[in-house]
Amino acid sequence: MVVLALAVGALTWAFRALPLRMSLHAVRPDTRLGRFLAATGPAAIGTLFVAAVLPYVRGDSGEAVPLVAGVAAVLGLYFWRRSVVLATLGGAVFYGIAQFLTGV
Amino acid sequence: MSGVGKSTVWAGLGASVPLILGYLPIAFSFGVAATRSGMSGAEALALSVIMYSGAAQFLAVALIAAGVPVVVAVATLAGMALRHLLYGPTLLRQAGDAASARWGAVWGFGLTDEVFGAALGELARGRRFSEPYMLGLAAGAYGAWLAGTVAGAWAGGGALEAWPAVNAGLGFMLPALFLALLLSLLTRAQVPVIVVAGAVTVAVTLVWSGTAGLLAGMVAGALVGGRGRAD
Repeated sequence: MVVLALAVGALTWAFRALPLRMSLHAVRPDTRLGRFLAATGPAAIGTLFVAAVLPYVRGDSGEAVPLVAGVAAVLGLYFWRRSVVLATLGGAVFYGIAQFLTGV
Repeated sequence: MSGVGKSTVWAGLGASVPLILGYLPIAFSFGVAATRSGMSGAEALALSVIMYSGAAQFLAVALIAAGVPVVVAVATLAGMALRHLLYGPTLLRQAGDAASARWGAVWGFGLTDEVFGAALGELARGRRFSEPYMLGLAAGAYGAWLAGTVAGAWAGGGALEAWPAVNAGLGFMLPALFLALLLSLLTRAQVPVIVVAGAVTVAVTLVWSGTAGLLAGMVAGALVGGRGRAD
């Protein structure tokens, strides 16, 4: 377990920290590489959201009602207060309540 | 730049509050899952201290429990971490003239998906990049991750079995956090990027694996962004 943790920890650190040495901040935004890098953030977060929600859609982790309630709560709270904290907590609370009420 | 305050380490810590609230229950779940699989509390904490990579840690627990050879497990988990290669350069490019990575080896350790997303969102809202700010942001999230792991490991494997709705709500914290972060970054120009990233993630996940889906989705979305017009 320790060998696994050390090896993966070292690689994860290298993947996170070493690319910071690349001088890509000087890349002009109107170039193809500049647009690629600008799109990486939204693409990454979009991908992570889809990957996180996919098990719910496939029915591995629950039913549709709690999922709809949770997503609707995140959307509603975010557009109401523009707060990541409130939207995240509210989504989780509404998901849990819907799960409780539907008895899934 | 005005209106968001100075980018001090304290400001970074303050900005980490959403991440702390999101990380505590997820790390708690990890602590529970790790001890449920037979690990000791110290082993669970060691994974969080050394690896500090949420999804990879859950998978590591499963791989260890399944007796998968270390070489295979390391290769699998390293593949999952590949996506982080893009985060640093993207962040520094967004930082513009303020970009600096003198202490990147330190705060870069904490450049998780959520820290990256939060930092990118702050920069998009006019926050000036600084390394102390990044250190504060990363430290808050890391502290929450370790505290949550300890609490989950201490509570033990059966901690949430009597509370299925609470367990479900905690489990939904991560999708909720990613959706909220996505909304904070969303612009009209990035819609095609996100749609393609999501579609490719689903397709590759269904036909190959979740890890491959993550990497393929990110690259495909970014490539679409690279072909389009600047934001």
